[in-house]
Amino acid sequence: MADLESGHLFLTYVIPIRRGGPRNDVSFKQKLRIELARLPPAHQTPATQKTEYAAPFARNRRTHFARMFVLDNVVYNGRNGQDALVGALRNVGTLTPQHVDGLRSAYLVFTADVDAVIRQGDPLPDDLDPEAQRRVRMAYARTLWDTMGEEIAAIFGNCHGFEGVSSGEAFGAYLERCHVETTMPFHDYYLVPPEFHVLPVRALALAVLIPGGIALGALLLRILGLEALFGLNTLLLAVAAFLVTLLAFVLAVRHALRNGAMPLAPARHDDLPSVLKALYIQQAFADFVAEHQGRDAGALAAGFGAFLDRNVPADRNGPTQRPGVIASDAPQPRARV
Amino acid sequence: MTDPLNLHDIQGNVTRAYGRFSFPFARYFFFQIRDPAAGRAFVDTVRKAVTTSARWPEEADKPACTVNIAFTFMGLYWLEVPDRTLQGFPDVFISGMRARAAMLGDRDPTRTEADDPDWDRGWDRIWRANRRPGLGGAGDVHILVTLNAQPDLGEAASGTPEFLSLLRVPHPELERRTEWLRSLTCDGLVLIEENGLSGAEPYQSASAVFDRFDGHALPTAREHFGFTDGIGDPVFKGQYPPEAERTAVIGRGKRMGDGWEPLEPGEFILGHPDESQELPPTAMPPEFMQNGTFMAYRKLHENVGTFHDVVGEEAETYARVMQVGKVEARETILAKICGRWSDGVPLAVVPTFSAWIAFGQAGGWRDEAGQIRMDAEAWNRNLAYIRSPAASDFRYADDMAGFKCPAGAHMRRVNTRDYLDPTNAAGVDSETGRQPVNAEANHALNKRRRILRRGLPYGPQMAGEGRDETEQGVIMMILGVDLFRQFEFVQQQWIQYGLDFHQGNNTCPMLGRHDHHRRHMIPSDPATGKPPYMMTRLKTFVECRGGEYFFVPSLMALRMLAMGIVDPT
Repeated sequence: MADLESGHLFLTYVIPIRRGGPRNDVSFKQKLRIELARLPPAHQTPATQKTEYAAPFARNRRTHFARMFVLDNVVYNGRNGQDALVGALRNVGTLTPQHVDGLRSAYLVFTADVDAVIRQGDPLPDDLDPEAQRRVRMAYARTLWDTMGEEIAAIFGNCHGFEGVSSGEAFGAYLERCHVETTMPFHDYYLVPPEFHVLPVRALALAVLIPGGIALGALLLRILGLEALFGLNTLLLAVAAFLVTLLAFVLAVRHALRNGAMPLAPARHDDLPSVLKALYIQQAFADFVAEHQGRDAGALAAGFGAFLDRNVPADRNGPTQRPGVIASDAPQPRARV
Repeated sequence: MTDPLNLHDIQGNVTRAYGRFSFPFARYFFFQIRDPAAGRAFVDTVRKAVTTSARWPEEADKPACTVNIAFTFMGLYWLEVPDRTLQGFPDVFISGMRARAAMLGDRDPTRTEADDPDWDRGWDRIWRANRRPGLGGAGDVHILVTLNAQPDLGEAASGTPEFLSLLRVPHPELERRTEWLRSLTCDGLVLIEENGLSGAEPYQSASAVFDRFDGHALPTAREHFGFTDGIGDPVFKGQYPPEAERTAVIGRGKRMGDGWEPLEPGEFILGHPDESQELPPTAMPPEFMQNGTFMAYRKLHENVGTFHDVVGEEAETYARVMQVGKVEARETILAKICGRWSDGVPLAVVPTFSAWIAFGQAGGWRDEAGQIRMDAEAWNRNLAYIRSPAASDFRYADDMAGFKCPAGAHMRRVNTRDYLDPTNAAGVDSETGRQPVNAEANHALNKRRRILRRGLPYGPQMAGEGRDETEQGVIMMILGVDLFRQFEFVQQQWIQYGLDFHQGNNTCPMLGRHDHHRRHMIPSDPATGKPPYMMTRLKTFVECRGGEYFFVPSLMALRMLAMGIVDPT
């Protein structure tokens, strides 16, 4: 599953929006869009810093990135293109309209990049089996429900089959039904390049080419009239070598696919609490340097001791930057209503 | 051989920085059209005097005073360019520079416009009124005409005392052209006489900064802070004759694995292939846009008093922390802000103070005591050096840590050269103490962000006369086919922000806003045993006093505008 990469889950949920709308009201799709438009944004510009409350996704410390948007329909690309000559030979009627495909309803798309952990602060995993990934997704859904259940109910209330969802567990189960695989995750925290799962192309190629070469050679000898070589029947040798080649090819392709699907290991300091702590320390340390530049060794040592006591660099949960703000000294929102 | 650039069709200020071609005096006139027919008549008269890029002297006579013209979006609207053409112009050109102020850092980006309604209080009157919401266009600037003049040298032979004494006097053609422009105004086409600090100057004047050498006031390549300016302008295909291109391109073109090469003309002139091997997008019809370009005109005020105060304070601390003399501290601080020493020698080539002094002595513009020689020969030698390829031929990929030139220095920000090549490696070798060289590093992430810089300083003609409150600075004219991709990107991402240089929120120490971010990091080679130095007291040294985005049409397009026959169908 490509959901898991570098110790993170790259989640994609596609949730059908109810068709039509309530009596004497606008459509469910518009009501959902209104709820999305009303969500408090992150506090990252002077305009959004006027919002009193924190962005709902900033109320947990495992969401690196989240996005919700409405997928109205698939894009219509026009008629299926075809080479004019091929079309003429197949007698394709270009004046006859083709079927125009579409979705059965609009969808709410919810994507998130989250630490792949059950409990916030756990170390990021190298790999997780599908069941373990499911447990992480359920834990994340419970976290969202506990921190932004009101917003979730307002948004998802416009979605198909959401009636009766009234707990984190039920929300998790609901999302599971809408979960689709993320086929192309993107990760950008590496301080040093990760250990890539390099495909042994040369070895794989040899494993296929050597028996293949033997099969071809044996066949050629047979055609040239040599029936046996070192006492081996050349025809049998050709057939046997061909079968080995086929087997080697299948195994090589399977190995390549499995290798490609293996997740990369987490980078160091890659979980959200570490990232936030790093941002905090970066700012605090720059201030420390500015204040202590040119001081003598004694004052510097004492100052740095105080810096360590105050900022506790090793404690990811200690003094740190809040999620959803642009800087530690920027206006800080209230956590929630 | 393919057809080279049609230099006769391209305005002369696109291919030439006039200041470098012995035109040290300029006047910038702004006009408003009130009657489209009068506007077209004005264009028709002016276009016949426009200086083209045709080469001097073989293709055209070098004029005593050049004439060039450009239009704002509202100017094109008032000239009745068809809507279908207008809607094809880039959105940032349509919006105008004022609307882009927060993004450019011309207005405090930490405040909303509603909280800072008088944010343009420091702008010149003409620019406060231009495109101001609520005025219904009454204060809009439509046309810019620029005049650049040579000195009035008469028959004086080059290098003689008489010649040197005449360098400070603009050619009378400048005044004649001024009167000529005035004579072309009428009720339907007015000159906006609201320039300058007083708000009543008829035009914006500009002049190279002069300094005294042997008793002569001679034009320098410096601006009012004392930095040598305008050295590393980009070079593109067709700009120079093949012979001249071979040397001009060194340090000023791009490096993509085959030595220095000129940039593609489509980065700077519309209608030609660009660095992504595409034609830059244009409005219809193509022949209206071809050989034209866009220009950001910016009046950049220099707070010279504050600048020298801050440099003085920082130099004092630097001298103490780094245990060096005061002169070395001051010159080093200046160089580490800019990326060049004050006489134009690049830090990337000559990284230390003592080597710099020796370099100037060897070059012939410093005396034995290390002082700069204030005589005409030294002036000539220094000018010759900064115009030579040696002053531009260097790289940054071999100095990722910024031991020679700080990563956040002005020059590394505005032209990143090979610094952003992702194969560059940082750090030092634990045995040799040297940084990785990466000789193959290229300019792929730089060549789409180059800008042509035109313009001149404004303010007192003699160096060192100003205070914060007096009028001095630089009229910056930044040219490129895509203001958004080139100028605005450099301004927002590289001048007003530091992420690409691992400088966090630190802004350009010279041009950036420093009301919130006041730091500039000067790394130190560990081999010296000295710590890095953090400048912490930066103030905003350069403030925008207004400006606008202009379209600089080709000669052909000017004729179409004048005739009113721009046909987008």
